[in-house]
Amino acid sequence: MSEILLCSQPLSASQLQNTCGISMDALAGLACSSPGTLQAYTPYLMGENTFADRHILTQLNPMPVAKELTHLSLSFGEDNVLALSEITKKLQEYNIGLMGAATSVYTDRIGGFAGAVKNYQDALMEYRAAIKSKSATKALARQKAHAAFERLQIQFQHELNAVTAKIKSNRGTPLTSSQRATNIARSSRNVARLNVTSQVQASDLVRFAKHASFLGNGLAVIDFTSRVGNIHNSYQAGEKWERELFIESSSFALSAYTGLKVAEVGLVLLLAATPAGWVGLILGGALVAGAAAGASMGMNYLVKEHSGDAYDLIMTSLNIR
Amino acid sequence: MSLFLQLFTLGLVGMLFTCILYVLFGQLTVRKLRKNPNMKGRLGVEFVSGFDILNVASALSAPQWLRDRISRSTLSYLAPDYQALYENTTLFDRIFARVFWGISTVSTSFMLLLVILDKIGVFD
Repeated sequence: MSEILLCSQPLSASQLQNTCGISMDALAGLACSSPGTLQAYTPYLMGENTFADRHILTQLNPMPVAKELTHLSLSFGEDNVLALSEITKKLQEYNIGLMGAATSVYTDRIGGFAGAVKNYQDALMEYRAAIKSKSATKALARQKAHAAFERLQIQFQHELNAVTAKIKSNRGTPLTSSQRATNIARSSRNVARLNVTSQVQASDLVRFAKHASFLGNGLAVIDFTSRVGNIHNSYQAGEKWERELFIESSSFALSAYTGLKVAEVGLVLLLAATPAGWVGLILGGALVAGAAAGASMGMNYLVKEHSGDAYDLIMTSLNIR
Repeated sequence: MSLFLQLFTLGLVGMLFTCILYVLFGQLTVRKLRKNPNMKGRLGVEFVSGFDILNVASALSAPQWLRDRISRSTLSYLAPDYQALYENTTLFDRIFARVFWGISTVSTSFMLLLVILDKIGVFD
């Protein structure tokens, strides 16, 4: 197994030698030749150059995959670059199950929370602007600010509790009372106090969410390109490629759908099992994601194993060939 | 021709039919809901894109007691807002949701049962 090199910006031969101590001659790109300069988000092979390695390189080469892998390896450590090339083979089995693993729900939620806080802030600033210009839309802007606050309260109760628990103020803060917020907006000469976003100590979470989204749909890309590879191989070998297409596409669709379905049923069970809360979501979510991944893998195995025979059965019963 | 292969083919056809219904339901009903400003942020959590299709179908097919149970949960923000869904769908949408959800649940559990039976070696 040889190593794979990925970089997030173009590097010349001398830069590569100086920063990493790697000579350009040791590298091979997709066309087997030594590259003149390293391109960003393009995988290169380092060391021996076997057929299996080149196959992996072809799988990693599409832009979205390579970009995702580059970011992943840069954020989780260079050692993982080597490991990733081995893991790719196993990743195909996981499908949706792995993608749906707690990270996605977290990303979505935190992103939504940050967005709702920002909307609230914008509505408040609009209200302030309306007051300063003595505009007739004052009452409307005030109503809008209240509505944005309501939405924030209803949808993100748990995050708000976590964020405002540390704030001690008798009069409340803009995050706990929209009355207080509009009062500040109307009276305060110093608008800096209205900066709701800076009071939200969620920046770490948001940063984590950005990392988590490196996973996600990229895995489906890796999965599907390898499946297309199988179909292409069978076409080139002069076999029945339609049969292979049926096997690959049905196993992909069915295992993905099974993962979704199990996750959905698991979610309903999780919701019915009161009182779950955040701890319940994390523990239960891990269970649900595990069950979804397991079901998805089991389905992928079963369908891959038998759908060829099923294809023949359907074809003979329909009298085609 | 073995019994297993017959059962498997039946399940496979059912699942493929489910996938077709999934796309249809997504295009006919959920796309309409996604565009509706009243439904913004009310279609439940989206683990992966397309998950809200299943969310909507299951919310429209869930019995009253389960809906009550879910709305009392501390995690109820993960589920779609049934009241809003009801107000923004037609009778056709609701029937379609139940048909889709029913077929999908039956065929998926049937196939998962086959996976389990196959794993423990019933058909060997």
